[in-house]
Amino acid sequence: MTAYIIRRLFTVIPITLGVLLLVFVIYRVIGGDPAARLAGKNATPQKIEQIRKQFGYDKPRFFNWGAAFAPLATPARQWWEVTFKDVIGDKPGWNDWKEATLKCQPLAVFDSQFWHLVRRFAQLDFGRSLQSNQRISTMIAEGVVPSLCVTTPIFVIELSVAIALALLCAYYRNTWIDRTFVVISIVAMSISGLVYIMLGQYFFAFSLGWFPVWGFEGPAYVALPVAIGVVAGLGGSLRFYRTIMLDEMYQDYVRTAFAKGCSQREVLFKHVLKNALIPILTNVVVAIPFLYTGALLLESFFGIPGLGRMTVDAIYTGDEPVLFAMVFIGSVIFVIANLITDLCYTWADPRIRLQ
Amino acid sequence: MSLTLALALALAFLAAGCGQPLNPGAKPGEMVYYSEGGDIKGFDPVKASDVDTALQVCKIYEGLLEYDYLYRPYRLVPNLAESLPEVSADGLTYTFRIKKGIYFQDDPCFPGGKGREVTAEDFIYSFKRTMDAKNVSTGSWVFAGHVLGVDEWAKASEDLARPTDYARPIPGFEAPDRYTLRIRLKAPYPQLLWTLTMQYSFATPREAVEYYKGDFINHPVGTGPYRLKSWRRNYRMEFERNPTYHDARYPSVGEPRDREKGLLDDAGKRLPFIDRIILYEVREYYTWWQMFLRGQIYSVGISKDYFNKVINQDLELTPEMARRGIKLYKEPQMDVFYIGFNWEDPVVGGGKTPDEAERHRKLRQAIACAIHQKQLSEFYNGRVIPASGPITPGIAGYNPNKPYPWRFDLDKARRLLAEAGYPGGKDARTGQRLRLALDMGGAGDAEARQMGQMFVEFLRAIGIDMSINFSLQPEHWRKLERKETQMFTSGWVMDYPDAQNVLQLWYGPNESPGVNHCNYRNPEFDKLYERILTMQDTPERAQLYEQMADMMIADCPCAFLHHRLIYALMQKFVANFKPHDFPYANMKFYKVLKH
Repeated sequence: MTAYIIRRLFTVIPITLGVLLLVFVIYRVIGGDPAARLAGKNATPQKIEQIRKQFGYDKPRFFNWGAAFAPLATPARQWWEVTFKDVIGDKPGWNDWKEATLKCQPLAVFDSQFWHLVRRFAQLDFGRSLQSNQRISTMIAEGVVPSLCVTTPIFVIELSVAIALALLCAYYRNTWIDRTFVVISIVAMSISGLVYIMLGQYFFAFSLGWFPVWGFEGPAYVALPVAIGVVAGLGGSLRFYRTIMLDEMYQDYVRTAFAKGCSQREVLFKHVLKNALIPILTNVVVAIPFLYTGALLLESFFGIPGLGRMTVDAIYTGDEPVLFAMVFIGSVIFVIANLITDLCYTWADPRIRLQ
Repeated sequence: MSLTLALALALAFLAAGCGQPLNPGAKPGEMVYYSEGGDIKGFDPVKASDVDTALQVCKIYEGLLEYDYLYRPYRLVPNLAESLPEVSADGLTYTFRIKKGIYFQDDPCFPGGKGREVTAEDFIYSFKRTMDAKNVSTGSWVFAGHVLGVDEWAKASEDLARPTDYARPIPGFEAPDRYTLRIRLKAPYPQLLWTLTMQYSFATPREAVEYYKGDFINHPVGTGPYRLKSWRRNYRMEFERNPTYHDARYPSVGEPRDREKGLLDDAGKRLPFIDRIILYEVREYYTWWQMFLRGQIYSVGISKDYFNKVINQDLELTPEMARRGIKLYKEPQMDVFYIGFNWEDPVVGGGKTPDEAERHRKLRQAIACAIHQKQLSEFYNGRVIPASGPITPGIAGYNPNKPYPWRFDLDKARRLLAEAGYPGGKDARTGQRLRLALDMGGAGDAEARQMGQMFVEFLRAIGIDMSINFSLQPEHWRKLERKETQMFTSGWVMDYPDAQNVLQLWYGPNESPGVNHCNYRNPEFDKLYERILTMQDTPERAQLYEQMADMMIADCPCAFLHHRLIYALMQKFVANFKPHDFPYANMKFYKVLKH
């Protein structure tokens, strides 16, 4: 088991590298360098060039072949000119090549934009935001708690209610109760999250005054966003868990349990729920990494100073260090969450062995 | 039982949070202002490039000069300077006398925590910070190329291996004594005075920069009317009155109607009036609006979607809003929006031969004539006024009697299009329909999409097919910087009320990635631009501005759209508010009446 965990933890490296590479390509290769934006609206081309140099945007993006193998350029050019351009002179000899090769600095090949980024992130140095010049680690530390204050209750409440209702639907399958819930969940799924937020904020906060319109001063301030988040996501979750529960309800072991005289309650909670745990766990643990990224719309409308708002602001303003950091942390959490899922499988189903 | 317990716990949970209302209100005798604060990046004056951040920086820091709050047209008055500077006859030397007894606010960065007196050296240090390449200031243009020795000093600061040498003098910045600051220029630069009202030239204490180092951006220490009490990023900011603020007074002179509006009631009184300012960083207009109506914030702009609910057909407040006592302010903005043509584009650009240049010019003019500015104005609910050129109303060089030659006129557009070689929108040589591409920012924004569709319809009316490429704003900028567009939408908000500031957008050497995103090149225009750069504010210079505007309007490197009209709503109990194009330091003049 320990070997398995260690092996899985090592997969963090290629996965995060791959994800970083992808985001890097999107922002630095396709998107270009942000020097002109940093320079401001009245910037001269010289100023932009100076910033490019200062931030290392003038370095090669992936590999700095020039810095690594520059000494080879002289004998190579000499050889080329003598061989193909009929320039009078000697071709470089073995010693010339050897001398030049010894002067090469192969590690300088990594003196590039991408590998500098990787090196910094490996040291957990996320740098500073291009827009605000604030430390990104501080920004994340400040934003993660407000985000979790909203997303965690939403997640827990939605999960509990959805599973409870799914069991209810399974129990009353094909009756009016089940159908009513199915219709309600389809309607709920069809409505945009934005509508829930706007209506919820208008009626419960602005018109009725039951909740604050905006702010993050205490639990009362997150109550309405949490309630809206739960309602907005419940339809989809209920449909998903109902399907899982119904699948289990038609299994032989359920029929056997009923035949043995187990009560409905016993069958549902002891047998069906336990057997449905594998897909539930998969769904739950995979969702956990997204809790830290926050709930963008809820944060924006209700003034929750979380990471969702920060990330979207970074996208809109091209603040790539913030995006790189968010993606990096997200990918690490995702790999760890997947590992936890696998470990939970062995707990939920003793037949599963991790190798 | 368990249900009851759960309910009780839930109620306790909610009650615990209800103890802290968003607006706790003012203490007896205290004046508190609640406001929306936008997206604030920090408090380092040299990095405050966006409006939201500059507005907050200017509450804490100050410069030598400031705008005369009530007076129009805009003029400057001394702030930390004793008087306006003495300018040498050749216009190359500006001498400022700094007021005595101005103190930085108390802060742990000073010995004993007591703020010290501001001297001329503080300004020199602050100007150097703006020029220090390591600070990546967006304001280095204020001095670069103008002040003696400043470019060499900035160049030396680019060496990342060594800390910048602040002891090294800049010949253009001198402090002959404690309270005298002398700025020496390479060539006359009359815009210098305007730029000295900007945050890039505000006094910053060296002690604070060295004490807080990389965190200085979060620990402002200025001389201004307020000091930062608390800041929760992305959420809330609180300012309190600076107890050591110098003796600044409310202006006694304004426009003729200011007295009847009550704007001169506080003339001569000591500033600031408001004791505390609380800012919420609200992002959604929908929320902003609800908070305004509930009285949680004291001012709000009017978004397009809400315009008809708030403003009637006469462009006044609806009865419901008027009944609430809400005050409406509307004012033209000093900005200009346009559709630019990339001068390097083979279809709409400058052209390689004189014949091509002429045909392309006619094509651009035809496109400009097809833009229905009135329809655009209706789209914006009348919140814009059609632009007739680059220069905004209210500043020297703007001629209200000169009509825009490319005002909407479909017949003229079709005629020009035919002369350009595209009769009916089809290429006369190939018979193929002309297809153009317009780049716009604001991808995902419904308003941008609707506007894009309007542009498509405008050009379809003269037979041109146009596609729109929407991008997020950073991507849009990138395309402009790399000259990757054919046509694009853009705009410019003036930094100071001088036409030079907007005319730089068409100065050849400023081509992309500089501000000349049209990449327009006209040697004659460039020559005039270089001339006006060193001219003092005279009628002759205003005439040259007009001449330059005419020149580029005729060349048509862009089709001018509009200038914005800003509509703002204010709670009835806010007094002394007067709309201003450069309102950064104006909070000290506002007042909150008992309500």
